[in-house]
Amino acid sequence: MIEVDGLTRLYRRGTLETQVLKGVSFRVRRGEFVVIMGRSGSGKSTLLNILGLLDRPDGGRYLLDGADLSGADDDARSAARNRKLGFVFQQFHLLERASALRNVTLPLLYAEQDSGDSTERAERALQAVGLTHRPRHLPSELSGGEQQRVAIARALINDPAVILADEPTGNLDAQNGREILEIFRHLVDGGRTLVLVTHDRAVAERGDRVLVLDDGRIVGEEAVPTPAAGTRSDAAGAV
Amino acid sequence: MNRSQRIARDVLVSLSAQRSRVLLMMLGLTVGVAVLSAVIVIGQGTRERIMGLVEKHGLDMVMVRAGGDVQIFAPQSDRGLASLVEADARAVEAEVPYVDLVSAVQNQRGISVVYEDRSVITRAFGVEPTWLAIRHRDVAEGEFLSESDMAAMARVAVLGVKVTRALFPEGGAVGRTVRVNNDPYTVKGVFIELGTDAAGVDDWDDRIVVPLTTSARRLFNRPYLEQIVFRVTDVRRVPETAERVRNLLAVRHGIGPGQPADFFVREPEDVEGAALETTSTLSALLLAISVVALVVGGLVIMNLMLASVSQRSREIGLRRSMGARASDISRQFLLEALFVALAGGAVGVAAGTVIAAALGAAGIASSRITWVPFAVALVACAAIGVVFGIHPARNAARVDPAASLRGRAA
Repeated sequence: MIEVDGLTRLYRRGTLETQVLKGVSFRVRRGEFVVIMGRSGSGKSTLLNILGLLDRPDGGRYLLDGADLSGADDDARSAARNRKLGFVFQQFHLLERASALRNVTLPLLYAEQDSGDSTERAERALQAVGLTHRPRHLPSELSGGEQQRVAIARALINDPAVILADEPTGNLDAQNGREILEIFRHLVDGGRTLVLVTHDRAVAERGDRVLVLDDGRIVGEEAVPTPAAGTRSDAAGAV
Repeated sequence: MNRSQRIARDVLVSLSAQRSRVLLMMLGLTVGVAVLSAVIVIGQGTRERIMGLVEKHGLDMVMVRAGGDVQIFAPQSDRGLASLVEADARAVEAEVPYVDLVSAVQNQRGISVVYEDRSVITRAFGVEPTWLAIRHRDVAEGEFLSESDMAAMARVAVLGVKVTRALFPEGGAVGRTVRVNNDPYTVKGVFIELGTDAAGVDDWDDRIVVPLTTSARRLFNRPYLEQIVFRVTDVRRVPETAERVRNLLAVRHGIGPGQPADFFVREPEDVEGAALETTSTLSALLLAISVVALVVGGLVIMNLMLASVSQRSREIGLRRSMGARASDISRQFLLEALFVALAGGAVGVAAGTVIAAALGAAGIASSRITWVPFAVALVACAAIGVVFGIHPARNAARVDPAASLRGRAA
């Protein structure tokens, strides 16, 4: 699904140049839950932005679903973001003055085709993340966990193949964090590809595979050992 | 709905969720449009009032009379002056600027008009078809004289109401044949009732009017004119136009400086011309103020939009992450400016119209409500919205999505 080969990214601020990515290569198979783990400043957000087609690499190759969009124009990259990608952020990034439902429907604005009844689709997406009550509430009237569910429903509404999550549990308490990760696990089980960026080892352990990023390079790769059956089912029961 | 329509609707939904910000943004433009529409409404009302006065008092008409002495009232008897000819009228028509209609006029008292056993003695005028518009007259029944009547020296007449009532008390004058000084004339039309002139001397309803060619060749059988009347296209140019006519006729009649003229040019009082002048100066001033207010209103929108672009960079980044193209973002911000400007214009044109109508109702100004201020406000606000919205919209499209999403809370 995702093929990355020797990605480099250089930031210039005035005369100061920072090589943020120094040749990153990895693959993510369809339906895989990959965690990119690294300390702050390791380049993981930059990498996620490149994977999300929000930033372009200076060198190397990035294939999303077999297509290289690094040289494509803004329209083509925007269309690919709309169709193939869903984003989940640490700060939720919901529009404050819009209801939960309207927040969820926003990606439909930028779809090529009209989607028919967007409210009905948004309600289904909210159901899929277990948020059936309070669809007309504003984000400020929802708890952090509820807000992140709204954000995930928004990422899902265009039925993207890949979900990109940037510290999705970073602003949540332990209980809500566990529930969000459980939702992610269900999505992966349903066939979606998930790339999650975090600095938190406890979160990383919920993935299928962990890539450790340090100073712009992948310094380690580890398959996550299948956790004890009890933990998994406990968490699943909570959702 | 296509993509653009969806984005437009999203902008409207967003704006309706932040009404106080929208009100703040549109305030300047509203004031500008209000002043502009009030100026237009009052300007049109004033113009209409003055046009009414011009029509009523013939303020755009200049009359040249035969005979040189200063004539305050029309001569009480026809003096058989032989100083004005039709060529003078054609020369005025051809050579004097701001003159659009000219009619040579003959008239004579003591004309007998007979229908069956009824008869009147009245005053007959020989005129050209342009005369009707120059004197702001109108026919109530039938038609006025035409060019073909002129060409044919037709025996046709248009009657004043008093003549008509005397001869046709039962009505139905048009189409009948009357005898004018014993010749048969067909009644072509009947004038509307006009009453007497200000001095109460001339009774304009006690008249019959025939084609100038008919009067010159048949009824009066003489080439000399009593009057030339002409219309000036711009009321404010009446005095200078009258002066030009004076000079032209002096040259044509071979009258040197200091010599008494054999004609007299009578121009209308210029009071209302001065009033029009004052009004238009005031309108120009208010118009300038409203243009300044519109530009300031546009700048207010632009500045608040620019501030909003930087405040909302995270929203822009978020929308980009969801698949918004740079062009979608610029369209969103441009539409926002446009909608705010149009809303400001709508409120402004309503307020301005109401204020102008209230001033009109209070008798302070003349007002006339037409579609003009609404069209002007629509066009002006659409233009302002686009012109002052383009810069913020471009900035919004340039926001780097990756950088803007990195910040703290949304």
